Amino acid sequence: MSKKLLVLAVCVVLILTTVLAGCTSKQSNTIKVGWIGSLTGDQAVWGQSELNTIKMLFDEINNNGGVLGKKLEVIGYDTKGDATEAVNAVKRLVSQDKVVAIIGPNSSGSAIAISSILEQYKVPDIATVATNPKVTVVDGKVKPYNFRVCFIDPYQGAVAAGYAYEVLKFKKAAILYDVTDEYSQGLTEFFEKSFKAMGGEIVAKEGFKAGDVDFRAQLSKIKAANPDVIFLPYFYKEVALTAKQAKDLGIKATLMGGDGWPSDVLLQMAGDAINGGYFINHVSYDDPVVQDYKNKYYQKYGKWPELNGYLAYDAVMVLVDAIKRAGSADSEKIKEALETTNLQGITGKIMISKDTHNPEGKEAVVIKIVDGKYVFQQKYAPKQQ
Amino acid sequence: MNEFLQQLINGLSIGSVYALMAVGYSLVYSIMNFSNFAHGGVIMFGAYFGYFFLKSLGLPFYMALLLAGGLAAILAVIVEKIAYSPLRRRNAPFLYYIISAMGASIFMENIVVATIGPTFLTYPNVISVEPIKLGNLSIGRLDLMMFIISAVSLILLVYIIDYTKVGKAIQATAYNMKASALMGINTDLIIIIVFALGGALAGIAGVLFGMKYTVYPQIGNITLKSFIAAVFGGLGSLPGAVIGSVLLGLIETLVSGYFSSQYRDLISFALLIFILIVRPVGLMGKVVEDKA
Amino acid sequence: MDLYYIKGILILTGINMIAVLGLSLLTGFTGLFSFGHAAFMAIGAYTAATMTVKFGLPFIPAILIGGIAAGLVSIIIGRLTLNLKGDYFCIATLGMGEAIKLILDNVQYFGGARGWPGIPLNTTLLIVVIFDILAVIVLINIINSRHGRNMIAIREEELASQIIGINVFKYKMMSLIISAVYAGIAGGLFAHYMGFLQPKMFQLIKSTELTIIVIFGGLGSISGSVLGTAVLTALPEILRDFSEWRFVIYGAAVIFIMVARPQGLMGGQEFTFQGLKRLVRRVIPQKKTLPHSGGGN
Repeated sequence: MSKKLLVLAVCVVLILTTVLAGCTSKQSNTIKVGWIGSLTGDQAVWGQSELNTIKMLFDEINNNGGVLGKKLEVIGYDTKGDATEAVNAVKRLVSQDKVVAIIGPNSSGSAIAISSILEQYKVPDIATVATNPKVTVVDGKVKPYNFRVCFIDPYQGAVAAGYAYEVLKFKKAAILYDVTDEYSQGLTEFFEKSFKAMGGEIVAKEGFKAGDVDFRAQLSKIKAANPDVIFLPYFYKEVALTAKQAKDLGIKATLMGGDGWPSDVLLQMAGDAINGGYFINHVSYDDPVVQDYKNKYYQKYGKWPELNGYLAYDAVMVLVDAIKRAGSADSEKIKEALETTNLQGITGKIMISKDTHNPEGKEAVVIKIVDGKYVFQQKYAPKQQ
Repeated sequence: MNEFLQQLINGLSIGSVYALMAVGYSLVYSIMNFSNFAHGGVIMFGAYFGYFFLKSLGLPFYMALLLAGGLAAILAVIVEKIAYSPLRRRNAPFLYYIISAMGASIFMENIVVATIGPTFLTYPNVISVEPIKLGNLSIGRLDLMMFIISAVSLILLVYIIDYTKVGKAIQATAYNMKASALMGINTDLIIIIVFALGGALAGIAGVLFGMKYTVYPQIGNITLKSFIAAVFGGLGSLPGAVIGSVLLGLIETLVSGYFSSQYRDLISFALLIFILIVRPVGLMGKVVEDKA
Repeated sequence: MDLYYIKGILILTGINMIAVLGLSLLTGFTGLFSFGHAAFMAIGAYTAATMTVKFGLPFIPAILIGGIAAGLVSIIIGRLTLNLKGDYFCIATLGMGEAIKLILDNVQYFGGARGWPGIPLNTTLLIVVIFDILAVIVLINIINSRHGRNMIAIREEELASQIIGINVFKYKMMSLIISAVYAGIAGGLFAHYMGFLQPKMFQLIKSTELTIIVIFGGLGSISGSVLGTAVLTALPEILRDFSEWRFVIYGAAVIFIMVARPQGLMGGQEFTFQGLKRLVRRVIPQKKTLPHSGGGN
């Protein structure tokens, strides 16, 4: 009997706790900023990099007097990379925690899902590495409260295709992509379109499912089609495995990819197999402009920041700049200030366009992997079509 | 023709990975009559154990492999004690075991994420990465080694089951637990042994998997394929598990290579359903009749 | 404490509840385990969204069409798999679930893996509550009818049921179809709550979540399913402060429930007033029976 009672009591407590979940105390001398991203799940490494960066920066800014005399406080929630979780997290941030702005997510699916809440509560969001065009513009109309600091997939695909065709003079390309991943699907579509438009030929297009670890069936098929370059628009873990397996099969084609590649883990896992590969990135890790941040991050956390960290850095800069120009911590005023952002971030020039809320004209960087190191090749912008 | 042979090799090598995972799973099924979804978690831990022994302690490969297998065996027994024993004592229907197994697998995956972290870990190279070339075909050295280790482990298992006293006790318990208990077989001990054997296989499978495909907390999800292979081959039948796995590996690879890689899993599942319609207990499954 | 956030959670709970109620008919009352029910939600969701967005149908009919679509697909699936036993059926449903998700990932008309934004936000708490109440009432009626009793008989002892003349296949199919329709309706409501759909919202993990809730609430208990959904949907939100440890706790909690109280919250019983009175009487000892009781005497 007492066991039943205990179980029932626990349940009642649990239900009550839901209702009382997180009554936060209010302090009017802080500016609350929300963050959402993956702290668990496959993309946890990136989410953690972002949140760590924001915490580090906020500490620094607060030690220098804060913004508008107030301290910055970040409230971060895990989305598991899941759009439903993102919606819950954002609802909590805007209605309960009363944040004035949100940084993140890095997942386009989450960024799109939260847009209606942002509009309802009039809280702006700055996405870090969400590259799906539909995050900020849907059917030609801009989403008033979504912003981002990164370039978008159509641009990235065009850069990759352009570099492969014009600079590296490759005429035949094969693509291997993750059919279940939004980023991979998007980048594939734009690469294919651009490459064909320039006159190139896609000799093979193979797919796999997230969670797969063996790509030799697809690679054998690709090998038989004899491409000059194989485009791998997905994330570093699968890229590393693909590269190793491609080498095993004796494939000689050049490997190329997008911003899902860069990570220390890629070099560690793929070792020799990835040498000679190219990828498109938002920033070059050797760029003198980023060294300060890079080293500070390493000192504090004992590992190098991931790509997301750099973009989170710029997102913070953009936000702080907007708050200063708005002259207040009012979310509507911050949103208006964001629309006229024009500053030099560590990842490049960030000039937010009022029509698209994207940083227009932001250059992409082409990086080649040589002897296990990232070597900056050039900044590249695709020719207009 | 060349491409076809290469695809065959690819398929066989994937199949042997699935086989090692599927056998442990089928072994537990044959005794307990339920699908041990926590098996994936044990495989994942096996991968981490092996990594630890190789990288941090710098042990020689075969020692690390055996130790990882041993630790995994212990882990499997612990899981049994915590998550399944209590259910057995109260004669719970098999559905409950499955949920408990799922809870265990969620717990295992996330405790690794929360403590060790989600980053992927790479095994140090224990064997040359240069593949063996037979003309235009390439066979990974690692694949060959995995194939051999899998084969050896399976042969050992068959030996234990068919030729030792313990093995006979296991067979008896699998056939009818109550009657075996009446005959004086310590069924509790047998269950522990079975889980330990399954766990050891899982541990070895984990190490091999980790070597080939890196170590990460979500390894348990791959074992879904091996569950399917075990069903395909017939639950409860060890040779079935092996054959099912190899066939699955081959089918997956050939479908990917010759039809559509995007829809590969769809076709594999369709085939699975088709086989199950024609032969509802899988290729070599024991036909389980209700007690009449 | 803010209502907007709580309302969101209540809506999600209510949506899950409909799917769970349907699944409880299949698993709790008929004894069949499905690991692919998220796929029926997906079918309902995408169909309903297609009706509102591409064909301009009003909201409620679209939701119902979504449910019917899921039901129709379940007939095909049922034909193929209901003759399989236990674990084989599980794996087959799992395969179906994954297959449907994969198709959705590839079909660009529905947005593919990148998802489908711009779905009108028609779901309100009121609508969800109404659907919930209707769902419970319909389910109670089914369970208490001859059909329901046949399903329970099948769960208890399939061979015997067959012998006494119950058409096992027909009842299994019936419970599958109903559970699919429920899931489809839940999916449609979900689509119009999120405003955005992605196939990965309907992965295996969602199917297992639904099944875990059914078991947690107690097989064969409608009130168990209702309570179970409330607790298990709220749990990850409450544990939000623990970030990475959330799911460690969740996993441990599941094992604990199974071991400590495998019959689930309600233990196959329903929530009745007599039951409530009995419980209260047990908690508060009668002054007559205890010699020393706290408070005035």
